[in-house]
Amino acid sequence: MNRSGKMPHTKSVETRHVEEREELFRGLRNLDRRSFLKVSTGALAAAAAVGATNHFHSFLPVNVAYAAEGAALPGFTFAYISDSHLYVKKTNERFVRQLLRAVDDVNNLNPQPDFVFYGGDLAQLGRKEELDLGAQILKSIKAPLHMMVGEHDWYFDMGQRWNELFGPQNYSFDHKGVHFVVLMSVQEKDFWTARGMSPAERMHTVAGLDNAVQSAFEVGAPQREWLRKDLEKVPTSTPLIVFSHSPLYKLYRPWNFWTDDAEDVQALLQRFDRVTVLHGHTHQVLTNRIGNIQFHGMLSTAWPWPYAPQGLPPLTVQMNRPNPFDSNDGLGDGSVTVHADGLVDKLYNLWNRNPMQVKASYLSSGGKSDAPVAPTLASY
Amino acid sequence: MKQSVWGHPPGISALICLALASNASLSVAAEPATAPHGAMAIPAQEQRLDKLVTRFAPPPGIDPVAWATIYMIAGNETTPDRIALGRKLYFDTRLSKDGTLACATCHDVSRGFTDHRSVSEGIGDHLGKRSAPTTMNAALMQSQFWDGRAPSLEEQAKLPILNPIEMGHPDAAAAMAALSADPAYPGLFQKAYGRAPNYDDLGRAIASFERTLIFLQAPFDRFAAGDNQAMSPAAQRGLALFNGKARCVSCHMINSSNPIGTDNLFHNIGVSARKQNFEALAGQALRALNQSNNTEALDKLAIQTDMSELGRFLVTKNRGDIGAFKTEQLRNVGITAPYMHDGTLRTLWDVMDHYNKGGETNPYLDGGIEPLNLSEHEIDDVVAFMFALTDTRFVAENEAAFRAQQALAAKNRPFRDNALAHREVVPFELRVLGPTGLQKTGEAP
Amino acid sequence: MNNTAFLALILLASALAAKADQSAVPQPSAAAPASGSKTVKLCDNKTTVQVSNDLPKTRAEGQKISDSLMAQWKASNPNNSWMQEEIEAHQITVPADNTKLIGTGQSSTYGTVTPQDVQVWKNETYKTAVYGSSVFHSGDKLGSEIAVSCDMCHPRAANTHPESYPKFQPQLGRVALLRDMINWCIEHPVRGKVLAPDDPKMRALEAYILAQRKGVALDYGKR
Repeated sequence: MNRSGKMPHTKSVETRHVEEREELFRGLRNLDRRSFLKVSTGALAAAAAVGATNHFHSFLPVNVAYAAEGAALPGFTFAYISDSHLYVKKTNERFVRQLLRAVDDVNNLNPQPDFVFYGGDLAQLGRKEELDLGAQILKSIKAPLHMMVGEHDWYFDMGQRWNELFGPQNYSFDHKGVHFVVLMSVQEKDFWTARGMSPAERMHTVAGLDNAVQSAFEVGAPQREWLRKDLEKVPTSTPLIVFSHSPLYKLYRPWNFWTDDAEDVQALLQRFDRVTVLHGHTHQVLTNRIGNIQFHGMLSTAWPWPYAPQGLPPLTVQMNRPNPFDSNDGLGDGSVTVHADGLVDKLYNLWNRNPMQVKASYLSSGGKSDAPVAPTLASY
Repeated sequence: MKQSVWGHPPGISALICLALASNASLSVAAEPATAPHGAMAIPAQEQRLDKLVTRFAPPPGIDPVAWATIYMIAGNETTPDRIALGRKLYFDTRLSKDGTLACATCHDVSRGFTDHRSVSEGIGDHLGKRSAPTTMNAALMQSQFWDGRAPSLEEQAKLPILNPIEMGHPDAAAAMAALSADPAYPGLFQKAYGRAPNYDDLGRAIASFERTLIFLQAPFDRFAAGDNQAMSPAAQRGLALFNGKARCVSCHMINSSNPIGTDNLFHNIGVSARKQNFEALAGQALRALNQSNNTEALDKLAIQTDMSELGRFLVTKNRGDIGAFKTEQLRNVGITAPYMHDGTLRTLWDVMDHYNKGGETNPYLDGGIEPLNLSEHEIDDVVAFMFALTDTRFVAENEAAFRAQQALAAKNRPFRDNALAHREVVPFELRVLGPTGLQKTGEAP
Repeated sequence: MNNTAFLALILLASALAAKADQSAVPQPSAAAPASGSKTVKLCDNKTTVQVSNDLPKTRAEGQKISDSLMAQWKASNPNNSWMQEEIEAHQITVPADNTKLIGTGQSSTYGTVTPQDVQVWKNETYKTAVYGSSVFHSGDKLGSEIAVSCDMCHPRAANTHPESYPKFQPQLGRVALLRDMINWCIEHPVRGKVLAPDDPKMRALEAYILAQRKGVALDYGKR
């Protein structure tokens, strides 16, 4: 812009910004107002679809792609926070701060999600004070909250305080035509009695991701039976979303990125047309598909894990290797958009980075289309 | 006599400086500003510059490969003719529309090559939104401006001349037309670039001149070379903190290939979130990007005052860059107050208070920013170290600045928050949980 | 301490106690137990057991006394199986196998390599790595003020990539060796006290990290 009204030969900075943006948005119409917590990779796909320049980092709402392709509009959205691993504040204030940041994110979503899901490992060492602290912080979430338990919450008192605070560890509910199941998928065969371990020792053993003394995670026969009964009445056409702390498949045993009876659980889910599993525990972007089941990991708010040396599902596009100086890198929260057909797009709200979106179409196409942006630095 | 930052009384340091033959600084008698916006009169500035920079050569200790990369730019290799032309242009007030301002007005030789103001003032007394960075050592940065929108000194020089609230020429042709009033220019341009005066070469020439403004001979450099007496014990402790508990080194790295104290990246350290409803602003910008059929509306938003606070985001549109500004250099930081992109931090104690408490909480805050739990003594030590980064040619200004800042800081520390700094309250706690936050122990009732 | 040695000590201790009994040490009559017993003390001078004077001095009884003292000692010295426990929990990579060298060598410099030599090399090397694993997995041993240990971000030393050092480490603003990065992590994410380069813990941490990366080619300077 200039005062004389003539286009200057050398443009001012601001004019160049404007023109750059205009170039990107040329051809895109009918954009809806959405929350700022939305996708950039969706924008890339949309921009590519209309032949705009290859701007990786522009910012558009999720549903632009659908509007452009004429697909059905999304059904609803829910947000998630997971793996906060709280100590009490006087022991470690950093994890507390990071959970508060996630709650701040979720409360600032506009519009608000239908509900917020907590993915497990609220406490670090399963102590009553840690769980109570987490409960107090999560109370300030504005949207309705559904909880799931992780191994760090359970193995000090075998779930006693968790049940008092949050109710049963496995349950199901229906929401807008989708059947949701929440599992307790971090059962472990008793390794502590024979060793004469105290509750604290048992918890400390389980708390070590790489501690081989503990058993592999499993859902266990009784709960599988509960699941079977729960799903009996659900028609195969009903979309199914399963929450599980352990991945419900077998990724890497030494780190308990593993569910020992995964095949049995998957067998129960296989008859459904559309199944999505959302899991915690792995603290990273993780994507997998087994048969008709789509799997997505949830980010942690406490610390990121590196990628396992073996067993990484081929569909997974890694998140960028975290920068150790940035104590928030590789962490965050996120949201899940459930389409009318019941499949989901998973949004990873990585703190201080562009969000990463993994779309249902990416998984459905076996990775051939809509791939997320590759990282600059992969895990070693 | 009060201990100076150099570890010995100020009077002696002045004597030592005068004794040094070629690079002595002038004594700093208060000179009345006789140019607009508080700048020193241009002829006086030029005289002073002659005393400061007597020859063009790499400073000792700088990596020769790094030096070659900076100075041997294809198409603008540094030559004496280009330097001379650039210098003349730097001081030429014809480059402003009303003939009152030169580059040297806001990048004043007598004021640390900046203007000692929060935000710079352009023609017609228009106030901008950003603090003028120093021209000293700017050649060693990988991008120019607080948001890095100019990739080189050549590009940077050409922009303020055409900005309506800075130097105000409507276009390049008008700027060149103004210069044509001086008959010396065609000859100088011919000698420098072998062609008639043109705007791109103007940028190149100014860049060539700015490449001579290297000021890397600080007490820190002598200390790094092995002279343990070169920095005071406080400054030495400050250096240890800089590399350790205070975490400065992770963004403000100093080494022989990159000696000025920047990682050339962009970080939201929370300054942008301080003065206004920053998140509403960010949300506004993002929504505006969603409705941008309207060029004029966006244009207005882009140059509207508030949008400037979005920093690097305006250039890259990366969400991770919302409110992010370039890591500035730390060289000569003692004499280039005030600090940050909006000049809101007046003293280095204010800067330390800002970092110590973990910046201003906002959803886009860089994850490397967190409360540091530094004590008052530790803060003093880091400040002492920062003052030891000033080139010895400015020792008198540095001393004066130290005393002035110390006096200001003794009266008022507006950015200090000990509850946050010492981690009694954590960032986001009061925002999420309300004024009572968590209990002291962080255990639930 | 094995059981044979214990038994010998017990017999010695009881012999000594019996001797003391026979000497003219005045016993406070009010404290004397009814049937008479003696105190059997372990060589640590702390652990004791009361043994009745009437107890038949058979090997079986001696073994029971020995077991009792052993159990007490173990209970008050829980760390004596630290290495076993550490290996069971964290499975540290074993060092290179040098058995091929047995019987080779000559002259005074190396002598002839014996199986005991190979065993010593392996044990000592392995022990250092195992100690490193125990420090790596313990916020307390690292001096963490916030109960953070290395394995929280680096399970089994994953993503430590020691083969890429020395390299320019942006977080430090300079070229770093592995130990410099270890110390940076200790100071910042772990919030502990930095270790001196020759601190046994630092040396052990390096040993463990290198052990877990055995076989990966060196690639110094890799980002």
